[in-house]
Amino acid sequence: MITLSQRREVGEFRKRYRWMALFVVLVFGGIIVRVAQVQLFQQDRWSGIAQQNITKTLELPATRGVIRDLEGRVVASNRPSYDVYATPRLLQPEDLERIGSLMGLSEEQSTALKTRIEDLPPERRTHQIELYRDIDRDQLAALETHLAELAALDIITVPLRDYPYHTLGAHLVGYLNEVNESDLRSAADASAYRPGDRIGRNGLEKRYESLLKGSRGFRREVVDARGKPLRGDRPDSLEVEMLRKPVPGHDIQLTLDMRLMEAFDRAFRPHPSGAAVVVDIHTGAVRALYSKPVYDPNEMSSGLSTRRYAELTGDPFRPLIDKTIYETYFPGSTFKVITALAALQDTVVDPMQRVECNGFIKIGRQKFRCNKRHEWVDLYDSVVQSCNVYFWELAEEVGIERINRFAEAFGFAERTGIGVNSEAEGFLATREWYEKHYGAFRIGYTLNTAIGQGNTRVTVLQLALAYAAIANGGALYVPQVVQNVRAPDGSLSETFQPRVKRQVGVAARHLDLIRRSLVDVVQDEDGTAFRARNEEGVRVAGKTGTAQVVSRKGRSEESSSAWYLDRSHGWFAGFAPAEDPQVAFAVLVEHGGSGGASAAPIATWVMQQYLGEPEKTE
Amino acid sequence: MAIGRTIRDEFDWPLFIAVSTIALFGVLNLYSATEGGKTSDAYIQQLYWLVLGFGVAALTAAIDYRHFERYGWLIYGACILALILVFVLGKSVRGSTRWIALGGFSLQPSELMKIGLIIALAKYLHHDTKTGGRTLADLVIPGLILALPMALVLLQPDLGTAMILAFIFASIMMLTQLKLRSVVTLLATFVVAAPVTWFYLLKDYQKERITAFWDRLGGTQADLLDSGWHTHQSLVAIGSGGLTGKGFTQGTQTRFRFLPDQHTDFPFPVWAEEHGFIGALLLICLYLFLVLWSLRVASQAKDRFGAVVAVGVGAMIFWQTVVNLGMVSGLLPVVGMTLPLFSYGGSSLLSTMLGLGLLMNVSMRRFSH
Repeated sequence: MITLSQRREVGEFRKRYRWMALFVVLVFGGIIVRVAQVQLFQQDRWSGIAQQNITKTLELPATRGVIRDLEGRVVASNRPSYDVYATPRLLQPEDLERIGSLMGLSEEQSTALKTRIEDLPPERRTHQIELYRDIDRDQLAALETHLAELAALDIITVPLRDYPYHTLGAHLVGYLNEVNESDLRSAADASAYRPGDRIGRNGLEKRYESLLKGSRGFRREVVDARGKPLRGDRPDSLEVEMLRKPVPGHDIQLTLDMRLMEAFDRAFRPHPSGAAVVVDIHTGAVRALYSKPVYDPNEMSSGLSTRRYAELTGDPFRPLIDKTIYETYFPGSTFKVITALAALQDTVVDPMQRVECNGFIKIGRQKFRCNKRHEWVDLYDSVVQSCNVYFWELAEEVGIERINRFAEAFGFAERTGIGVNSEAEGFLATREWYEKHYGAFRIGYTLNTAIGQGNTRVTVLQLALAYAAIANGGALYVPQVVQNVRAPDGSLSETFQPRVKRQVGVAARHLDLIRRSLVDVVQDEDGTAFRARNEEGVRVAGKTGTAQVVSRKGRSEESSSAWYLDRSHGWFAGFAPAEDPQVAFAVLVEHGGSGGASAAPIATWVMQQYLGEPEKTE
Repeated sequence: MAIGRTIRDEFDWPLFIAVSTIALFGVLNLYSATEGGKTSDAYIQQLYWLVLGFGVAALTAAIDYRHFERYGWLIYGACILALILVFVLGKSVRGSTRWIALGGFSLQPSELMKIGLIIALAKYLHHDTKTGGRTLADLVIPGLILALPMALVLLQPDLGTAMILAFIFASIMMLTQLKLRSVVTLLATFVVAAPVTWFYLLKDYQKERITAFWDRLGGTQADLLDSGWHTHQSLVAIGSGGLTGKGFTQGTQTRFRFLPDQHTDFPFPVWAEEHGFIGALLLICLYLFLVLWSLRVASQAKDRFGAVVAVGVGAMIFWQTVVNLGMVSGLLPVVGMTLPLFSYGGSSLLSTMLGLGLLMNVSMRRFSH
């Protein structure tokens, strides 16, 4: 029998139990309160995080709308870009070397990649990051074969903008590039853009960004803490949208005819720079908006190097500037029709009255020279032969106010309202303006204005629209470049109707006289554009012009090109076909010299290509 | 034996039912926590452990606790020896050496040490002739009884268990009537000891967890991927459970392994996520009952040894539960503490069952002479 020790007094402990029990109840009470707080009052917050935990969202980019020309030729579309993404947390060090060798990276690139991964802050390591964009086919093939072994890697196909016509119409079409801070801030819908997205930066891409863009979709996958997708057994409590299909953007159809644009491009080959606009005289629809030289939007979209950008900004022929709407020029003799119509409408002149041209006139001590001695000419002859003396005589009668009034009626010194990119207003100098800037007004200013020199500045588009109004009987249209917009399902969502800005107050018989004279500019053997005529085929009517260039002397141009840059610009503006006008045009050859020799042949040849039987042989 | 009263009559049914219920919940919860994973048969193992645990408890309860009193120093000495053996035979898991392989399974001597400490302190107080007016001098020997195993556990290092040993000691000593002056002096000592512990005794990862805890309290979102991550995901699990929970095996936090050590240190969030506040409240109340019941057993114990053992076991369960629940609900830093009876793990279950067997023992023998 084991002897057990004696019982001991337990009285000492008695007083403590109650306090201990109270302490225990209080502590457990505290825990219950805490659990109740978390489960009952913060439930929504924690539930939200629980749901986020088990879903991984894969972005499904929207396909941007396609831009087509009048005939449905694709001007801007999308091609796949294969982008490499990685989840840094799952990347093993040997994976990086693997990627390097598969993609054929240089030592330098491999090191850069390694540093980039290592420098990531911890909170970024669980999120996918973009490693490479638009990898080539060989890299794609190499990576795809080994994708199963590289769990951290994903190749995501993203649509990339593609401009099959490259430089042609590039200013108008525009380009995309990456969104910046202010785009993100100013976006109406905060979820519309994320860093790395592309946004229309210029031209139609910018103007119709909201329509072209579409909206992104997503696919959610239920995953575990390791980011691996789980198939088929997601808990019932998960109630989130798992798939939203991306909505493609709207397609845009232009009024532009890319075949016409190509014709201009061919015709402009001998000239380094210039511009041309063709508009439908019955609708104001723009058929061609050609500016040379231009950057390639494909190049702009993929991000320019600083050097390339400097090259573009430093180019004396200014490829970044849209010469059809953003640059202004002296209209030269193409402006004479405005002076003539002002005189005719206000019956300042009898069109049959003749004036003798001796090759110059003298006003005060100043001698104004004509391009040649025209002998006796009436208004009609003066347009055909572009006699300055006649118009100088006329200018004194008409006066600068009247010329300006008619010029304004024909849409000069006013934005056309094309609605894409920035547009220059042009300029008409008034008597007050001369008094303010030149001290006093002199008659010589009126003479210059009458023949399109002086301080009158127009855009190529303004001139084309003015000639369209002459051709169609006086209707000045708002130019249109977009014909319609289609929803992704192909249905028309918007069609743009022609808009007349105003009816110019000029009698039909005066317009008719001017039109006939414009026909003879080309057809009459004394006409300034006679040598540019199409001997067979489409008859073209128009007015030549030669615009003096503001001297660049004193500017630090390279001497080799300086002589060229001081040459006058050649103009030809008119309409075709001569007997039944369909389109009006304005062609400008920068530094092309006389309009009859430089611009007119381009216009007549292109019109032949466009309206007539195209040449069979090159 | 008293006439008319047998041991069987005195069987403590409330204690047995409370313990069995918690253990059963634990197995169910373990099933849910591991379903479909690599350790999906853990609940079967846990059932084996439970059978073994109840067997050990029954055996412990059957032998009159005065035998444990008699061999108190031997038991304590054996536990100390096992702790030393850890350093010789032990295997390392995540930087600490806590386990020794014993045949087919692993044993964690630090778990057994808790019981050893309770018995040793009970024996000491049982034979102490004083009945009040204790001073600091009276704490020297009990203090040494604590210090030896605590030092060994800290060396492993196992901060959580060391802390529980200290808490058990403190709770037991609270039973005795210590003079106020002594209590104050003791508190002052702790104030001095705390920085020493921080700078010389804690390992970096332990400090990191504590810093993460303070960061979170201070409102600075600490790095969610490290220490703070555990608590954050635990709160997500508990909070998303709401009032009624997501249903058995339906917890997403559990199913997708967002909870760290979800079957050992974090089983409560699993339970709370799937059974909601109602389930959580039920479980917490079971623990509350268990602790209060052990105090009741202590108050009815016929001698000091029995009373100290009951309070010690109650304290062991109380502190582990509080630290574990406090940790998973973001009130305390993450220290690596199992939830008694509920967590997966043989050693912790065995030591808990040993303790509960002792408690039953004391409870059954409150009237015997």
